[in-house]
Amino acid sequence: MSREGKEYRRIAVFGGIYNNYLALEATLEETRRRGVEALFCLGDMGAFGPNPDRVFPLLEHGKVLAIQGNYDQSLATGLDNCQCGYTDPRDNHFARLSYEYTFKKTSPENKTWLGQLPTHRRVRLGQYRLLMCHGSPRRMNEFLWESTSPNCLLEKFCRDFESDVLLFTHTGIKWHRALDGDRHVVNVGTIGRPENDGQVNVWYTILTAADGLQVEFIPVHYDCETLTQEMEHEDLPVEFIETIQTGWWTTCLEILPSKERARGKF
Amino acid sequence: MTTPSTPLLELSTLWIQVTGTWCNLTCTHCLNSSGPHNPWLKSLDTEMVTRYIKEGADLGIKEIYYTGGEPFLHKDMLLLIAHALEVVPTTVLTNGILITDQVADHLAALAQNSPYSLQIRISIDDVDPDKNDRIRGKGAFAKAVRALELLHNRGLLPILTATEILRDELPEGRGMYEQFRDLLLGLGITKPRVKIMPVLPTGRMEREGGPLLTPEMLQGFDFSLLQCSETRVVAEGGVYACPILAGLPGARLSAKSLKEALKPCDLYHTACVVCYETGMTCKN
Ligand SMILES: [Fe+2]
Repeated sequence: MSREGKEYRRIAVFGGIYNNYLALEATLEETRRRGVEALFCLGDMGAFGPNPDRVFPLLEHGKVLAIQGNYDQSLATGLDNCQCGYTDPRDNHFARLSYEYTFKKTSPENKTWLGQLPTHRRVRLGQYRLLMCHGSPRRMNEFLWESTSPNCLLEKFCRDFESDVLLFTHTGIKWHRALDGDRHVVNVGTIGRPENDGQVNVWYTILTAADGLQVEFIPVHYDCETLTQEMEHEDLPVEFIETIQTGWWTTCLEILPSKERARGKF
Repeated sequence: MTTPSTPLLELSTLWIQVTGTWCNLTCTHCLNSSGPHNPWLKSLDTEMVTRYIKEGADLGIKEIYYTGGEPFLHKDMLLLIAHALEVVPTTVLTNGILITDQVADHLAALAQNSPYSLQIRISIDDVDPDKNDRIRGKGAFAKAVRALELLHNRGLLPILTATEILRDELPEGRGMYEQFRDLLLGLGITKPRVKIMPVLPTGRMEREGGPLLTPEMLQGFDFSLLQCSETRVVAEGGVYACPILAGLPGARLSAKSLKEALKPCDLYHTACVVCYETGMTCKN
């Protein structure tokens, strides 16, 4: 068997659950109608949503193959911060609130489970060698935004890490770019937070090896109202709730590069 | 005593000190003693900058920063920004004085035409014009504010960059960061972006006999926290290890190419202690 392990034709990949177990439930439900052979999660199970422990049984029951994100690594190793990689004081302020909440509310068993997840995963999709990671292949918390990820860097990643398709998340906004030589990079987006476009739905990705590589971004609608009520009940900051209700990011957005920031409301 | 060194973990950020230390201001805290007369580091010519952009792209860098001096004094600055934006996201550090309507229009067009982000950082050191100008020069505040407004009006989302030089003189109450944010909001800049940097003991703030890093201090240290583990700087004379020490012989790694500068650098300067202690980065 090759290093890539099992070979697939059609898979679903998502990232950034951020404690949003209702969106996870809806995503799993959505994928059932799509004929995918396997489900992959690229990490960050926790963050600004309510009741972190509700995520884990869904992952298990849905047979989701997960890797570790920065949040998961922090929780598993008992770090006092989420390693999101923010530099701005406002971003860090809100990141701390959600991390402290999630840390307190995640059971020791689930933290242990997060600790045993791999940081990368290789699979084969048709003729393509896929490499999955959380932020970038070289650093778990590197931000790969569409407007700050130059082709020269992405091509280097494909070369250095011997892969045809790179899949990652961490930023919260999906994108796909085809590179020369039928290589591809895909930020699969996140299902825990809408993507700062004024729409309340979230997104995941389906990859199919057919005639070439097909990359489809699939919108997921879930019960935001119940999520909002639970966030209120858990005394989570109103700024977090507002994002769920409006689809606009209100926190942790100083990190956005100018192009992505310009598209949002705040 | 042995001087410790930082390994180059990856080359990700390329700085280009495009106008050397040639500037239209003479700020009292300037980290490389830039000014209008007899700059000790000269501007880079367009052909050389273009060559280094190409070499950086071939090595798979992630971004370019233009600095000086004042970058917009370079006669081909807009062209050089265009060249950089063809291959990587690009940031320019400026005092804003030369950002006229016309320049702002041109920058907006460049930003629009590139798939990559263009970020313009404008320096201001105090929310009070008089205090700011005492450090940065008469009229500097008004011109920086005008640049911020011109860029904001074109959707360019400038980043106000301040040093902590006047931290102790800021009005009591709200922190420095919040005060700069308020300044921007007061100007009608609805997506205020602020970056604050420590004052560095170099250039006009150089002091004799400051503390130095020792090998013991770096035992078990995570070198990825130091920007010299992922940064190189092109300035007159070649390639240097860090944007703060660019031009100094002790920080020079090659006279001719980035490739040759992909090696460890000495943490020989007292400014290295600031990076080590604060974890600061000159990046956005
Ligand atoms: Fe993450």
